[in-house]
Amino acid sequence: MISNLPQDFSPILVQFLLALGFVIFTIIITHVLGPRLKSKQKEDPFECGIESEGDARTPLSVRYFLIAILFVLFDVEIIFMYPWAVNFKSLGWFGFIEMLTFVAFLMAGFYYIVKKGVLDWERD
Amino acid sequence: MYPIISLSVTGLLTLFLGFSENKKIVFPASIAFLLIALATAFIDWNAPGFYFNDMLQVNNTSIVFWAILIISAILIMGFSEGFERFEFAQPAEYFAIVQFSLVGAIMMVSFKNLIMLFLGIEILSVAMYVLTGADKRNIRGNEAALKYFLMGAFATGILLFGMAMFYGATGTFNIGSGVFIGGDNSFFLWIGCTFMLIGMLFKVAAAPFHLWTPDVYEGAPTIFTAYMSTIVKTAGFVALFKVLSTTFSGLQDFWWIMIAVLVTLSLMIGNIGAVSQNSFKRLMAYSSISHAGFMLLALLGDHENALGSIMFYSVVYTLATISAFGVLMVVSKERIEKGRVYEQNDLFKGLAQNNGFLATVLIIAMLSLAGIPLTGGFWGKFFVFRDAASSGLFWVIIMAVLMSAIAIYYYFKPVLLSMSKKTSLESITINPLAKFIFAITTFGTIVLGIFPWILRSLF
Amino acid sequence: MLIHLIILIPLAGALISLLAGKNNQSLSKNIALLGSLISLVVFIYAAIQHQAGNTELLSLNKPWLPEMNLALKFSVDGISLLLIALSQVLIPLIILSTSKIEYHKSHLLYALILVTQSALVGVFSAKDIFLFYFFFEAALVPAYFIALNWGNKESSKASFKMFIYTIFGSLIMLVALVFLYSKGQTADMDALISTAEFMPSGVQRALFWAFLLAFAIKMPLFPMHTWQPDAYTTSPTPATMLLSGLLSKMGVYGLIRIALPLSPWAAEHYSVIVIGMAVIGLIYGSIIAIKQDSIKRLIAYSSFAHMGLMAAGVFSGNIEGLQGAVFQMLAHGVNAVGLFFVAKIIFERTGSRSLSSLGGLNKTAPALSIFFMIILLGSVALPLTNGFVGEFLMLKGLFEKHQLLGIIAGLSIILGAVYMLRLFQKTMFGESNELTESVEDVSGIEKLTLAIISGLVILMGVFPNVLLKVSEPASEALLNLLAKI
Repeated sequence: MISNLPQDFSPILVQFLLALGFVIFTIIITHVLGPRLKSKQKEDPFECGIESEGDARTPLSVRYFLIAILFVLFDVEIIFMYPWAVNFKSLGWFGFIEMLTFVAFLMAGFYYIVKKGVLDWERD
Repeated sequence: MYPIISLSVTGLLTLFLGFSENKKIVFPASIAFLLIALATAFIDWNAPGFYFNDMLQVNNTSIVFWAILIISAILIMGFSEGFERFEFAQPAEYFAIVQFSLVGAIMMVSFKNLIMLFLGIEILSVAMYVLTGADKRNIRGNEAALKYFLMGAFATGILLFGMAMFYGATGTFNIGSGVFIGGDNSFFLWIGCTFMLIGMLFKVAAAPFHLWTPDVYEGAPTIFTAYMSTIVKTAGFVALFKVLSTTFSGLQDFWWIMIAVLVTLSLMIGNIGAVSQNSFKRLMAYSSISHAGFMLLALLGDHENALGSIMFYSVVYTLATISAFGVLMVVSKERIEKGRVYEQNDLFKGLAQNNGFLATVLIIAMLSLAGIPLTGGFWGKFFVFRDAASSGLFWVIIMAVLMSAIAIYYYFKPVLLSMSKKTSLESITINPLAKFIFAITTFGTIVLGIFPWILRSLF
Repeated sequence: MLIHLIILIPLAGALISLLAGKNNQSLSKNIALLGSLISLVVFIYAAIQHQAGNTELLSLNKPWLPEMNLALKFSVDGISLLLIALSQVLIPLIILSTSKIEYHKSHLLYALILVTQSALVGVFSAKDIFLFYFFFEAALVPAYFIALNWGNKESSKASFKMFIYTIFGSLIMLVALVFLYSKGQTADMDALISTAEFMPSGVQRALFWAFLLAFAIKMPLFPMHTWQPDAYTTSPTPATMLLSGLLSKMGVYGLIRIALPLSPWAAEHYSVIVIGMAVIGLIYGSIIAIKQDSIKRLIAYSSFAHMGLMAAGVFSGNIEGLQGAVFQMLAHGVNAVGLFFVAKIIFERTGSRSLSSLGGLNKTAPALSIFFMIILLGSVALPLTNGFVGEFLMLKGLFEKHQLLGIIAGLSIILGAVYMLRLFQKTMFGESNELTESVEDVSGIEKLTLAIISGLVILMGVFPNVLLKVSEPASEALLNLLAKI
């Protein structure tokens, strides 16, 4: 039985208020306690002591993002594999065929990516 | 059920077809794939049932809507024949996305479980975000895609929140009449109802969740504007109807006044906003908002007729919209300014002199959108008025009528321009397939205007 | 079962003219003329049978949207019969009147005229409120496109104004019809009429004003007339003839068929107000007509004045007023088409529509001036012409209803004579100038058309009883219905 009366949600409300209170408290208290010093050196971006040059917004190759997003895609597929592996016996052949179908779709996508040359680092 | 599987597989196949040497094969193959999906849709005809652990429900009504969605997609995609333009730089990807998006639309009209509704909306929306930005070199298109994506993501979040509240209140994701309503949990049910409505009304561009519409319609390539104004709207309204008529039917007193206010707002913003638009696509965007208002009217009536009215309205609206955007596509490619196709209203100046066929198609489409008798649009409006009248909401109907009078003004702007004597265009080439599609949409509009029961009798 | 044939034959003619008559004006015109004449012949046969008691011929009852209880229900009584006759007779005349000038895309013009014809027959015979609404709107669309496509820039503006006005009115009427339908769960006119008297008075008031708005804009009735002079003046002549001769009659017919029986209490309750509006329009239109310089504008205002008198006749609530209004609808239809035709001939010959620059046409075009005189006298309501019977009956009816308004309305006869005779004098008499010196007289088809119209003017004036008898039972039935309230 799911308890779904409004008062059952009250812990969420308490937690929400606590979280909000903490954030507000920290923001205010840092302003009160923190010492304030301003100088050229202090406002400069700091990187290992080397003097900064150029704009922070240099364009990066879009390939970085592609690789990153592909990693996420293929990594997340594991969440299907894991419960399947745990319940392998009880799911039986049905589960096996389902997983094969799933992997086939995954591999189709992988094949597509390879064909598209997304993983081809040198290509321009 | 079968079209979902068929479209998923053929969508993948389309992607791989893109690797073949002969790029021209992609278009006929995609149309063939869509036709296969249409054929598979009717396997379940007269064999109603539930699929995927009762999460999807198939019956003749949902099959009719599948057919409407797939046929609309075929008609719209037909205009891409022979286009060597930017948006078809990668034809395989776009056709594949269209097929995937149809999967989402089909799920939206046949869900039985809110999870499926959410999945359907997401599949359709993500595909639309991509298609909106299909023209990568058009900065307006990029802006539109980003706007659509950000606002759409918020709407989805709100929708999901609403579903969570619904689950919290009832303990189930299944929609159906057996849901316990009232008592202590009704507060959460109200929140859930409101938030789910907001999420879905965003997708169908009803005011006040319409702010993305004009920019997105204008920025997207015309063919995908046509796609989103027809298929997303049809699927969205059916989903809205399913949620409101089953799960939330017990809350009617609560959402009824909300919908009535939204109807009024959509009609006012849509119609008054459209009056001053110079861009044809923006005009159609505001008109789409106002049509969302008209279709919402049907939800106010008793639910026995509402689905038939929504179906009829979406069919006539789809036909007229495809005609209008089709004419825009065919004519605008003749006039390139600053590397972009010209899409202002005065593009149509003197169209009647130049190409009588296109002018006739455009005029009939506009008459139908304005709801003049002899066209299907009249019956669409008539049915929703009648539905709303059965609930006794005469102030909303009078409002709708006043707004229809305003609508005539702006729908006639392109008509008047096309009738003017001076022409700014040279001869216009129409390929035979486009001509065939125009013939279908125009003929359909007229036939439905004279014999509306052809469609009504399906329900 | 001929009524659907009478509606479909012009449509078929329109289709054939559209397909076969492309780029060939005389062919498309002949096809259109043939189509409308076949329809006329079928109608005459059916009408004779109908009068002989065989009413089956002009009625039809087929399901249209069965699950919504809408039917393709047509049937005809005396008033409908006369108005169908009017449209069947005037459409061939309008087609004939287009023969002299070249029209571009003429096949489209004739097709649109024929579509108007079938829509008119539909309006005048529909017995289902939504069928009526459907045809009521459908008649406007082709007329609008004629004005748009064959007019100049001004006419596209003026006709657009007309379109917006009339659609607005019709949409309000649609709300009222949808309301009636949702209350009664039927769209059948007779069934609704039989329950109309039980409507509460507040509802009847709202319904009445909704109906009146739609029909007053269509006619037009003061103060909803502002679209009319511009639209009549700037539209190409075929469109003007359709609008003034036929489409405006739909407004009066709507009052008789919809507004009176469906909101009987309110119609009686507000009759004096409506008559007041009508009489204001009548006098106002007549006075303005006196000052006009453009022939077309003058006729437009005179038309506006006449429509006002017809509305007053309808609302007078007695047999004379109603019968007079019905008769005057026919007479005015014929006269308006005739007058606009003469204006068109004068404009084609001289290139001017301005009264001040014309004159002396009777010397160069004696035949034209004779025909003009006859039609004009009909319009002035001289005894033995068609205008007299209707106006006399209406004024008599109006006088019985409300003496003061009757007397004021009577003034319009004098004013009418003033502006009409001024029109004749300024065009036909006086010194001829360089515009009018070398004018050809009418001949051939023009002469035939004018002769038919003049013949109708005189015949209707001499034998009004033939027509009055046809509509008498229907008028009496309507008044009996109203008397029950």
